[in-house]
Amino acid sequence: MNSKFSIRDFSNIFALLAIWIFFGVVSPTFVSPRNLSNLSVELAITAVLALGMFLIILTGEIDLAAGSGVGLFGGVAAVLACNHHWPAPAALLVTLIVAVTIWGLMGTLIVKEALPSFIITLAGMLIFKGLHWKIIDYKTVPIAPSSEPTMFTLLTTWFLPPLPSLLLGAAIVAALVLAEMKNRRRRAEAELPLDPADIAYSKLLIVAQIILLFVVVANQYQGIPLPALILGSTAFIIHMLTQHTPFGRHLYAIGGNAEAAAISGIPVKGTIIAAFAIAGSIVGLTGFMQTAYNAYSTSTIGAEMELDAVAACVIGGTSLRGGRGTIAGVLFGALIMASLLNGMTLMAVEPAYKLFARGIVLASAVWMDERMKRA
Amino acid sequence: MPAILEAEKIVKRFTGVVALKSVSFDLQPGEIHALVGENGAGKSTLIKVLSGIHPAGSFEGALRVDGRVADLKKISDAEAAGISVIYQELALVGEMTVAENIFLGHEPVRGGLVDWLKMDRDARELLLRFNLKLNPETLIKDLGVGHQQLVEIVKALARKSRILILDEPTAALSGPEVEVLLNILRDLRKQGLSIIYISHKLEEVFGIADRITVLRDGESIVTARASETDRATIIRQMVGREITDFYPRRHATPGEALLSVQNLTVADAKSGKAMLHDISFTVNAGEVLGIGGLMGAGRSELLMHLFGAWGKRLAGSVTLGGAPFDHPTPAEAIQRGLALVSEDRKRYGLVLSHSIGFNLSLSSLKRFATGGFIDQQAELKKNNEFFASLRIKAPNLETRVGGLSGGNQQKVVLGKALMSEPQVVFLDEPTRGIDVGAKLEVYELVNQLISAGKAVVIVSSELPELMGMSDRIVMLSRGRLSRPILRAEATPELLMQNAMA
Repeated sequence: MNSKFSIRDFSNIFALLAIWIFFGVVSPTFVSPRNLSNLSVELAITAVLALGMFLIILTGEIDLAAGSGVGLFGGVAAVLACNHHWPAPAALLVTLIVAVTIWGLMGTLIVKEALPSFIITLAGMLIFKGLHWKIIDYKTVPIAPSSEPTMFTLLTTWFLPPLPSLLLGAAIVAALVLAEMKNRRRRAEAELPLDPADIAYSKLLIVAQIILLFVVVANQYQGIPLPALILGSTAFIIHMLTQHTPFGRHLYAIGGNAEAAAISGIPVKGTIIAAFAIAGSIVGLTGFMQTAYNAYSTSTIGAEMELDAVAACVIGGTSLRGGRGTIAGVLFGALIMASLLNGMTLMAVEPAYKLFARGIVLASAVWMDERMKRA
Repeated sequence: MPAILEAEKIVKRFTGVVALKSVSFDLQPGEIHALVGENGAGKSTLIKVLSGIHPAGSFEGALRVDGRVADLKKISDAEAAGISVIYQELALVGEMTVAENIFLGHEPVRGGLVDWLKMDRDARELLLRFNLKLNPETLIKDLGVGHQQLVEIVKALARKSRILILDEPTAALSGPEVEVLLNILRDLRKQGLSIIYISHKLEEVFGIADRITVLRDGESIVTARASETDRATIIRQMVGREITDFYPRRHATPGEALLSVQNLTVADAKSGKAMLHDISFTVNAGEVLGIGGLMGAGRSELLMHLFGAWGKRLAGSVTLGGAPFDHPTPAEAIQRGLALVSEDRKRYGLVLSHSIGFNLSLSSLKRFATGGFIDQQAELKKNNEFFASLRIKAPNLETRVGGLSGGNQQKVVLGKALMSEPQVVFLDEPTRGIDVGAKLEVYELVNQLISAGKAVVIVSSELPELMGMSDRIVMLSRGRLSRPILRAEATPELLMQNAMA
């Protein structure tokens, strides 16, 4: 809520710049409009999943089944659409309902039986991966029966044309300016400390420039990719949910101190179950996007994605103990992870080194998190 | 005789704040020296200076042990000099035995392996020396807080400490447990140990201390022999002003019954064992009902059960505001106009990592929600009202609750309870561990509630507080409730008799 820059923000921005400059120099295609468009799709997939993970981590729980879920639900939708010739909207909707139900049940099991989410979702990770393999029968299942575009294939191939993209970018910037003005007025009325106007608005200016720069670069290719719009909408919804509803406050309170939350009249169990159910819908959505991006459901889809989601949250300052974290941080963390993976893929880095890099980033993010707390 | 420990003109600055302006005091061999002062007076900072947590060089002034300048760079330096601190929050491992805890980090070793026999023997010997009837093989988690405290002291003695610093050692103890502790401290004094005793409870301080030093705003105001000063003088020196009526209770005319409890029997949900037996009482509008009793008598459990947060009801019924009120959840209890301020504010009261504002409105978010979204303007306005009227001492609403003093934290918990606009307010040990000024403000708040026709139930371990603030007092003894005693009839002797019944 308070928007002061911290050392973490600076070190994150520095890390991101370093990653971009490194890849930009080593592999100049990294900064080509086409690759940046791909990067924005990959970012959207990583970040949307991380936003779902964020809800669960806020309560102090964890979801290790997210990656397997991505594979499973993408696979279920692909099998329904391709093998059973369901219309894509029906296949996606039914799979989404299944995803919400399964994640809701997992949450129920965790809170009603007081079982550790680490173990239950670890079990889920194995079971869902097995289910995924069974359902696609160890094969490669396309997401559409023919080359005719469907809602499923369009998920990652549709672009908002350049002119509407520009208008949308401008509208978002205008909305941000209005929101900041309203926020400042409210804080001033309540006699809360305010960042000096010039600093606050120059921060806003930077954000506006980044948004417009993104639109301009995207327009050089084909416009804003649909996943980027999905990410924007998801981030907005999760922002409203966590920062502006009682449910969101409850998430923070439960993660901060579950016992005090209960005594304060917060329905602790129901809130955690709801967090899992919402995260389930996000896992489903990510599964559709990831599978569509790949064009097929294969047994490796979703592997280790839960760890990238956790890493994005932690890099962005979400506490694994729960109760602390911001949407902006999660998006930033996802951007770092997505940039790293995209750049290494471009450089055709050996898979082993990709794993090393992800592991090192994850460990150093947690290390920084602990150090910050002690400082 | 030279002082065993001497602090001279200690000044400790943090960035922007002076925590200790000038503190001088000395500890004689075989002396119990009490440190008193309001929260924020500098007691905790002083302890940290004396125990090496704030290392030599980070403060000004001189620290001498046995007349020689002590260069305490870290905690182990202080331990080597024979100084041990027993903190409010005990540093024991619950899953280990008494003996293991006593020798934690100093286990007797033979050939690289722990010598369990010697550990057990030494532990028995130590316990015997201080007349403690404790089995060294008992697990710490199976002991009451009082006994845990004693284990912590024995642990310090096992390390050959000569100076014990006790920080609010009786905060969580019941009357008899306090007596046991004080007797042991007297014993230790006889054996030549020196003790710094920090407490808010002046009765205890006068009962045990040889000398008393008053701290106020980071300065040592005065050091006096306990026999040559009195309670009123010390309080005046602590707050820097005269307090005439310590319990400023105003009386309202009691109205109709707001809460009535009939033949309630409740069991612990885990063990299934009945903890509260056949309890009946009523609380009227405009009335304060005091509930006393020893630690473990079931006072907090009673309040928590009525609030829907503890136990399994075996029998009985409850009415609130004239309508049945059975088996609520805390959310329903709040909805129906009940509020609970728990005795353990850090555990049950606050989300410490969040702001004052976050905590204040936590129980009332529904009130601010229109169309599913929180009207943050209305919330801020309400939070600001409470922030001002409770006189919470903090820069602003966004200050983290975890960094506030005990008294201010308690005000936030009270504010959270009151914002839900309750008819009946449960206050469980509302003044535990908070300073004199904040205590008075809590009492004033009770007065305001009563004048507004609310009903208040206060649970307290301090008899003067019970007698000073209640219209009627009931005592719980092993899960059974005594008959109500009117304020006018209450004497400490009568109350204690009922508590021990």
